[in-house]
Amino acid sequence: MPRNSKRQSVIKGLLALGISFLLFSCGDDPKTLEGAASTIFDGECVNETDEKIIVYSGRSENLILPVIEAFVCETGIKVDTRWGSSTDMALLIDEEGSKTQADVFLSRSPGPVGYLDGKDYLKPINTAVLDLVDDSMRSKNKTWIGFSGRQRVLVYNTDQFSEETLPASVFDLTSPEYQGKVAIPGSNGSFIDWFTILIDQYGDTAAGEWIDQMVNNGARYYPNNRSIVEAVGRGEIAMGLVNHYYNYKISAATGAEHKANNYVFTDNDIGGTLIISAAAVLESTDNVDQAEDFLTYLLSAQVQSYFTETTYEYPIAAGVQPNSALSQLQAFEIGSIDFDSLGEGFENANRLVESSGILNQ
Amino acid sequence: MDRDKGHIQSPALLKVGVLGIGFLFSFPAGYLIWRNFTGDRSSLTLLNESQVLSPLQRSLVLAVSVSVTTAVLGVLFAWLTSRCDLPGRRFWKVVLPIPLVFPSFIGAAAFIRTMNPGGFLNDLLQGIGINNVVEIRGFFGAWFVLTLFCYPYVYLPVAAKLQHLPSSLEETSRVLGRSPLKTFQHVIYTQISSVLYAGTLLVFLYTISDFGAVQLLRYDTLTRSIATAQLANKSLSLALGLLLLVIAGVVVFAERMVSRTTPSAGQSEIGPPLEYSLGGWRIPAVALVSFITLLSLGAPLFTLGKWAFDGIRRGSGNSQPLTLDGGQIWESTWNTLSISVVAGLAAIIAVLPIAILISRFRSKVGTLAHFLVIATFAVPGILIALSMRFWSLQTDWAYNLFNNTKALLVFSYVVRFGSLAMGVVLLSVAAIPRNLEDAGQTLGVTRFSRFVRINLPLMAPGLGAAAGLVILSTMKELPITLLISPLGFSTLATRMFSSFEEAFIAEAGILAVILVGLSSLLTWTLVIRKSDHL
Repeated sequence: MPRNSKRQSVIKGLLALGISFLLFSCGDDPKTLEGAASTIFDGECVNETDEKIIVYSGRSENLILPVIEAFVCETGIKVDTRWGSSTDMALLIDEEGSKTQADVFLSRSPGPVGYLDGKDYLKPINTAVLDLVDDSMRSKNKTWIGFSGRQRVLVYNTDQFSEETLPASVFDLTSPEYQGKVAIPGSNGSFIDWFTILIDQYGDTAAGEWIDQMVNNGARYYPNNRSIVEAVGRGEIAMGLVNHYYNYKISAATGAEHKANNYVFTDNDIGGTLIISAAAVLESTDNVDQAEDFLTYLLSAQVQSYFTETTYEYPIAAGVQPNSALSQLQAFEIGSIDFDSLGEGFENANRLVESSGILNQ
Repeated sequence: MDRDKGHIQSPALLKVGVLGIGFLFSFPAGYLIWRNFTGDRSSLTLLNESQVLSPLQRSLVLAVSVSVTTAVLGVLFAWLTSRCDLPGRRFWKVVLPIPLVFPSFIGAAAFIRTMNPGGFLNDLLQGIGINNVVEIRGFFGAWFVLTLFCYPYVYLPVAAKLQHLPSSLEETSRVLGRSPLKTFQHVIYTQISSVLYAGTLLVFLYTISDFGAVQLLRYDTLTRSIATAQLANKSLSLALGLLLLVIAGVVVFAERMVSRTTPSAGQSEIGPPLEYSLGGWRIPAVALVSFITLLSLGAPLFTLGKWAFDGIRRGSGNSQPLTLDGGQIWESTWNTLSISVVAGLAAIIAVLPIAILISRFRSKVGTLAHFLVIATFAVPGILIALSMRFWSLQTDWAYNLFNNTKALLVFSYVVRFGSLAMGVVLLSVAAIPRNLEDAGQTLGVTRFSRFVRINLPLMAPGLGAAAGLVILSTMKELPITLLISPLGFSTLATRMFSSFEEAFIAEAGILAVILVGLSSLLTWTLVIRKSDHL
C-alpha cells in the first residue's frame, strides 16, 4: 500500500505539472510576439477572430511557424497546421480529395504542387496576389505561386578543389577530371525539378545523355541535398549538385570543421537555375479570402526578409534584398523558366533518371 | 498442453472479438488491394522485370543478412544478461534495448557522420594508423547499421523467454554429463527457438520496410523504388507496396510452418532459472557487449550530442538563435511519452485475445488474425498512414468521429506495431500452467476473475517486454504521426525530422538526445520495477 500511494503521488505530481503547463501555455494571449516571430511583427496582436485556415506545410516548422505566429497576431485569423514532407502532404491531399481539411498547401518545390494541379485539386489564385511576384514565379494556370527561391549550385570541398579549377557549366562535369568526384541527389525533389527544367530547355536526348555520361563518369548517388553537403564538408566526396542554402546552414551550425563552399556555374549556365518553393489554395476550401490573405502575407516584405535572413533563401517578391552572405542572382536565373512544364515533365524526368542507373548504386 | 487443444470449444465471444481485431488489422492490406485493383491502370502489369527484380533481390539479401546477424547477437546478449554472471548486468539490461529508439533516418546519418571519412571515429582510427576503414554505405553499410539498430527485436523476447525456462531440464542435461554447449544446443535452443524465429521474423519484416536507413546509406531497395514512384508513378508505387505485403505473407507463413514443427514452448515452472559462471570468458564477454554498445549507442549519440552541444552554445551566443523553445521541447516530450505508452498498452490489449485464442484453442479465425497482424509489419509506414486516411474517409460518421483524434493515431500505431507485441504475448499466454487455471475453475472462480488473478500476474513479465517493444518503436515513428495525428500534434520524432530535413541539425541533435534519454528512463523503469525482464 505505501508503495502504491507513493506511486499515486508521483502520478498526481506529474499531472499537476502537466496541467500547470497547459494553463501556462494557454493562458492570457500575449499582446506581442516573442522569439523569431517578433522579427517579423513586433507590434501588438489584434484579437483573435473566429476565422480559421488549415495549412498543410511541406516546409519545416522551424522555418514556417514564426511566420504563422506573426500572421495570427497581425490578422487574428487562426491557423492550424500539419507538418511533413511535401511529397507526403501531396499524397495525403490526393487521398483526402475533396474532403481535405487543408485550405493552403506549402510545397518545398514545384513538383508536388504540379502533381496536385494535374489532378485539379488547386483553386486559381486571385490576380492581385499573383501580381506580387514576377510572371515566371507562378504557374500559368494561376494555381500556385512561388514564395522563396533556392539556387542550384555546385558545393565543393575546399581541401580538394579551389574555385578556379571548377567548370563553367554543369555539362563540363562529364569530363575525366571529375571522374568519381560528383555527388547527385538523383531521387530528390529539387533535383528532379531541375532535371525537368533541363529536359524542357535542352530536350530529352541531351538531358538523357548528360545523366548517362555522369553515371559513366562515376557520379555517385546520394539521397538528398543535406547528405551531400554534409559529406562534401567532411571530404567523403569532392563535390555535388545541390540547393545553395544547406551549405550556409550547416556551416553556421558546425563551424570551421565543415570544409565546403558553394560555386555558381558561370554565364547563366542552366546548372545555376533558381528553384522555388510554392504555395497553393485548395479547390475545396471554404476560406478563400483568408487563404489568400495568408499567401499575401508570405510575400510581404517582412516575411520575405525573414526567409532570406533565417534560411539564406532568395526573396522573390516586394523588392527585398537577399541576405548579404548570398551571391547576387544573375538576370537569367529569374524569368526564363517555364515552371508549368514541371507538372507534365515530372514523370518523364523520373523515368530518364531511373533508367540512367544513378539510383542503383 | 497441446493435447488439450481442440477438445475445448473456443468461446464464441472470444472468437467474435478476434474476428473484429483481425478485421481492423486488415485495413492496410485491404487498402493496397483496393487501390491496386480498382485503379485506372492495371498496376500489376507495371511490375516489369528490370525495374522490380534487382531492388527486390537487394531487399531480400539485406533482410536475410540482417536477420542472421541480429539473431546471433540477440541470443548472445540475452544469454549473457539473463543467465550468466556478466558484470554490470543491470546496466546492460537498461542499455541494450535502447538502440531500437533511433529513428533510422537520423541514426544512419549520425553513423555516417562519425564513422565515414572526415568523421570523428574515422579520424581517430587514421590517427593510430588504420587507413583503410570500410566506408559505411551500400550493402555493407545498410547491413551494419540495421544490425546494430534491430538486434533488440530478437534480444528482448529471447531474454524474456530465457528468464522463465525451467531449470530442471538443464540440470538433468548437465547431470547426464552433457557439456554446456551441448546443453545449450539440445535443451535451451529447442526451448527458445520459437521466440527466436518470431523475433528474427520481425527483423526481416522491418528491414524490407525500412526506408530511412537504406536511402541514406545508398543501398537501393524496393522501398526506395516505392518512394521515388510515389508522385511520378503512383500506380507503380502501390503495386510495389502490395508486392512487399505478399513477400511478408509468404515469409510469415513459412515461419508458422517452421515454428509448428519445432517443439512448442513448455510451461514455466516456479523457481529461479539456472545461472552460469562465465569464468575466463568474463572479460571477452564484457568487451563484446561494450563494443557493440559503443557502436550502436555511443557512435550515434556522440554525433547527436555534439550537434546539440554546438547548437546550445550557439544559441546562447545569440548569433544564430535556436528555432525551438523550451515549451515546444517539453510539449513534444510529453506527447511522445504519453502517446507511446498508450499505444503500448493498446497493442497488448489488441493482441492478447488473438494470443489466447490460438494458444488455447484450435481456431482458423485466430490463425488468420495472427497472420494479418504480423504481415502488416512489412508495409511501409507511409502506406499504413494513407490507408488509415482512406478508410476513415469512407463513411461520414467515421470521419466525424475519428478525424483529428488521438484515438485514430493510437489505432494506427497499434496496426503498425501490433506485430511486435504478438510473438512475446503469445509466448506468455502459452507458458501459463494449465493446471493452475483448472484449479481456479474447480474452485468456482469466474473466467474473468481467473484471468485477472491467475493469468495476468504470470504473464506480466512477457507483457512488459512486449509493451516495451511497441513503446520504443512508437516513440520514433514518423509517417503515421505526421499524416494521422490531430493538427498541431508534434512528437520528438516529428520535430526532429522537421528540423533535420531543413538542416537545422542542432535542433535535431537536442531532440534526439532527449529521445534517447526518455527511452533510457522508460527501460530503466521497466527493468527496476520487474528486475527480471526487459
